[in-house]
Amino acid sequence: MWKYIRRYLPFAILAALFMIGEVMMDLIQPSLMSKIVDDGVLGLNSGGGDLNLIWKLGFRMILLVLFGGFCGSMNNVFVHMSGQNIGNEIRKDCFRNIMTFSFPQLDQFGAGSLVTRVTNDITQVQNFVSQFVRGMIRTVLLTFGSMYFIFRLNQIFGWIVLCAFPFVVGCLVFCLYKANPLFSRLQSQLDSINAIMQEDVSCIRIIKACVREVYEKLRFGKANNALIKTQLKILVIFSFMNPVINALMYLVVAVILLVGSFEVGGGATTPGSIMAAITYITQLLNGILMLVMLFQNISRGYASWKRVKEVLHSQPELKDGTFDGNTECQGEIEFRNVSFSYPGAGQTILKNINLHIHKGETIAIMGTTGCGKTSLINLIPRFYDVTSGTVLIDGIDVKEYKQKALREKIAVVLQKSELFSATIQENISWGKLNASHNDIKSAAAVAQADVFISSTAEGYNTLVAERGMSLSGGQKQRISIARAALKSAEILIFDDSTSALDLKTEANLYEALQKTHSERTKIIVAQRIASVRRADRIVVLDNGRIAAIGTHEELQKTCPIYKDICHSQIGEEE
Amino acid sequence: MAEQKDQNLVQRNIPGMMNRGQRFAEVQHAENAGATLKRIAVYFAKEKIMVFGMLAVVIFGTLCGVYAPSLQSNAIDIIAKSRTGNLMVSLILMAAVYLLYSGGQLLQGLICAKLSQRIVKRMREELFGKLIDLPIRYLDTHSHGDVMSRMTNDIENISTTVSQSLPSLFSGILTIIGTVSIMLWYCWQLALLSFATVILTVTATKLLSKKVRKFSRKRQMLLGQLNGTVEEMVSGYHTVVAYNHQDVTTEEFCSTSDSLTKAGIKTDIFSGVMGPIMNCIGNIGFVIIAAFGGYFSISGLISVGVISAFIVYAKQFSRPINEIAQVYGQLQTAVAGAERVFTVLDETDEDKSGKELAKADTATVTFRNVNFSYSAGHPVLQDFTLSVPSGKKVALVGATGSGKTTVVNLLMRFYDIDSGEILINQQNIKNISRNDLRKNIAIVLQDTVLFSDTIQNNLKYGNINASFDEIEKAVKMSRCKEMIELLPQGYDTVLTGSGENISSGQRQLLAIARAFVADPKILILDEATSNVDTRTEKAIQDAMQLIMQNRTSIVIAHRLSTIRDADVIVVMDHGKIVESGDHDTLLAQKGKYYDLYMTQYAGIAT
Repeated sequence: MWKYIRRYLPFAILAALFMIGEVMMDLIQPSLMSKIVDDGVLGLNSGGGDLNLIWKLGFRMILLVLFGGFCGSMNNVFVHMSGQNIGNEIRKDCFRNIMTFSFPQLDQFGAGSLVTRVTNDITQVQNFVSQFVRGMIRTVLLTFGSMYFIFRLNQIFGWIVLCAFPFVVGCLVFCLYKANPLFSRLQSQLDSINAIMQEDVSCIRIIKACVREVYEKLRFGKANNALIKTQLKILVIFSFMNPVINALMYLVVAVILLVGSFEVGGGATTPGSIMAAITYITQLLNGILMLVMLFQNISRGYASWKRVKEVLHSQPELKDGTFDGNTECQGEIEFRNVSFSYPGAGQTILKNINLHIHKGETIAIMGTTGCGKTSLINLIPRFYDVTSGTVLIDGIDVKEYKQKALREKIAVVLQKSELFSATIQENISWGKLNASHNDIKSAAAVAQADVFISSTAEGYNTLVAERGMSLSGGQKQRISIARAALKSAEILIFDDSTSALDLKTEANLYEALQKTHSERTKIIVAQRIASVRRADRIVVLDNGRIAAIGTHEELQKTCPIYKDICHSQIGEEE
Repeated sequence: MAEQKDQNLVQRNIPGMMNRGQRFAEVQHAENAGATLKRIAVYFAKEKIMVFGMLAVVIFGTLCGVYAPSLQSNAIDIIAKSRTGNLMVSLILMAAVYLLYSGGQLLQGLICAKLSQRIVKRMREELFGKLIDLPIRYLDTHSHGDVMSRMTNDIENISTTVSQSLPSLFSGILTIIGTVSIMLWYCWQLALLSFATVILTVTATKLLSKKVRKFSRKRQMLLGQLNGTVEEMVSGYHTVVAYNHQDVTTEEFCSTSDSLTKAGIKTDIFSGVMGPIMNCIGNIGFVIIAAFGGYFSISGLISVGVISAFIVYAKQFSRPINEIAQVYGQLQTAVAGAERVFTVLDETDEDKSGKELAKADTATVTFRNVNFSYSAGHPVLQDFTLSVPSGKKVALVGATGSGKTTVVNLLMRFYDIDSGEILINQQNIKNISRNDLRKNIAIVLQDTVLFSDTIQNNLKYGNINASFDEIEKAVKMSRCKEMIELLPQGYDTVLTGSGENISSGQRQLLAIARAFVADPKILILDEATSNVDTRTEKAIQDAMQLIMQNRTSIVIAHRLSTIRDADVIVVMDHGKIVESGDHDTLLAQKGKYYDLYMTQYAGIAT
């Protein structure tokens, strides 16, 4: 945190100085008023009212008030300059750091959690900084300042207030102590009520089909009752806080008036001082109440800061290699005794894989869900690191490559088509920055996407809204494929990325690819026999091991697993 | 003097944990505030005692609050010897009145808490009940996020308003009236001078809020953009990395972040300056009272004690004035929220009336000339005629959007048909009560939904009275006995988050078992297309065969095995039946089914 504050320290210091100015002005006012009352009105020193003195003091007060207002406004400016800028630096660093994450790190945090951390949590931290700089300084100064001024007015007044202090604080602490465990209970009850709603809204057909409406209402009612009960408890606790503290304050005022009357009689104090003391007590009380607020926010801000810090302090996990990717041979992949399990998970996904893929070869990977197909191809662009063994591209271990250089060599079409809120053209041009429209169009043509893109009103300038919600699954897949086809990479990987295309389109796609990208190495992961049967070789994965490698015809004869798959998809006739 | 807006912060903020004193929060407006307010009033009317109790307490508290400072002024006058009287008596009286005032506040807080929670409880239950009772069409046509937000945000808003804003508005207005009149009564000259600060407050708020609104709109937009970028880039991180786009993305993010910061600083400065300005205005009021009070006091118009009372009064009336704009905004937002809640409550429930389905051992399902459209002008089913004899299996096949799922929606009466009729054993389902109709049909849907409950309760969902024996039998038939036994708690295992702790194949099996337990005469299956491992796939196929035995079954088929075993295959295209017959006949015809079979199932491109 200090690292960030340091850069904007001058702002923060200026803010603090101006705040001191503002509070000082606030604190001087009641003393001046007491002077007006004592010397001006009652004329305790001169024996008669002094109108001139009143106007003089009034004028001085106005000047001080205006100066205080100026200080307050300037403090406000610097507070937000420092808070916002610090927040901004943290936010940018967070995002920069996330962009260096390895996939296991990303999985560990979870995408959703990272998004909250960068957005909400950082806003919390930022508010926390602003509030701290403005609120904390203000309240502390105000509280102690008021205390000091009360003591200066009259020692006994000071002691009276000081006696009341533990009661006020005790009351606050008691309320917070009682309420705090309820807050976490409230949160979990709120979560459970939301969960029921979410579930029922999406399961409404089953609920109606099973005629269980009443049951669900009862279930909800129960959760709702629990929530309401907790909420009510919290409200009740806090209903006590303010009145009790107020009552304490009024008692103090009464006691001061009583004691004050004796003191005035003995000449130790003046009516003006009593009035000033009462005003200070109000300020003091406000200060304390604000402190409570601040502590609440600080604990919230601190929790957010902890979450943000976890992101900021995550070190990049993958050690970058030094090799710049200039190889003679281009497009050769070799798996050598590769085993893999996801970090933190015990289960071994890939076991002792040995596979040599030649330049320009089209290789298909088949197998049931969960057999390790995606894990296998994720090792090639080093999305994950092998647990043991090596993956070599063009004869060089992927760990020795600079990550950027390595990924330049590979174009992956992911299982889930990830498109971004930009035009179709911009989305495709991710494959090659500054690609010409013609390049993009021909890449789209290869991906069998040109026709449907051109048929829309805006063509390539159509905006992909909400991560592609406006597009069908097949359209999204084709745009993703176009993006990969545009990239001049030696290795093309399709991770089950033609599943939403009908067989004819898929066949056309592979045919077009064969024409335009014949020299590239192509890896096709698929579920459908039809998608893989034309590959040079088919790798059948079973339970993390290579069960067989061969052409469609060979495998049909020799590999029982492959035969099973064919059987369930094509039927007995074949 | 302390910042005016800090007063009562605790009371207003901590309980709801929201509304963090945003002076310029965006205000939403209701379309018909009057009618909505009337309906909110109805909720209050049911809590008459509490409402009147609260009103009484607020009035009592305000009176005490207005009366107490004058006692304080008396005491000071006695001390300053400008008035004679027994100090002890007036101090005890003052303390007593102040205590009563605090007591009033406490009581007000308690009643409000209770009242708001009762109303919220009722509203939430009503809204939830409504959502469950509404026709499916409502949830199909409204975004679920929107529905959820009514349930949470809108109701929460109404709750905070009821418990906090409303009483504070009411007591605020009363306090203003009380304070202003007593100030005028004490010394109208000084009172009028103190009111000058009100003009300052109103002008400052007006000027600033205009500025703030302008900047905050821009900030809101940039914030949305920034959040969008983060969301997109983080969830699309695989692609970002695969295309080496980290630097471009970071640059983009940083520039948005910088402009957001600029807009944020401007907004915050303008909205934050309100605090110091209010403080300054409060101080000006203080000076006015001190100086002019002193002047009037010398002139003999007022006593010193009155000055002290005025200081308290000035604070008492400027607080509600500062708050009123804010509270009014909250009220408006809450009313707009209430309006949204009421629109849902006004929707008509699904009609549950009707006769019972006549008892019979068989169940023949007939669709006769059925026409249906979800929205006028876009027919989904046209002249759809289909008869499923008792105990037979019909497989519906066709491309997405050909109307297969609609058939399910109509038979379950999730939607009502436009024309034609649907009959079960010659009895029109329009005349059968929805509950009774649905009890006779079991459905297994594609997106297999299970509830966050124990496996046993999930299995019993379609037949709450099922005995354990029946359940065990169903589990055996649907091939998930082994799987349940492998779970640590067996039947008592609680499924988490709609059953995410078991695989999708296992979910399908459980859904089939649930249908087994329901033991209906008519069965609707919407086969899942998701990929499951070969062993589970085999189990699912077996279970499907078993459950369809001797039941009238309509299957939206995706598996080749299911289609081939069907008694009749119905090929649908754009809401019409284009072909029907058994597998071999249809293949021999070399029509639509042949095409479909060849491309979708046989795995050979034509």
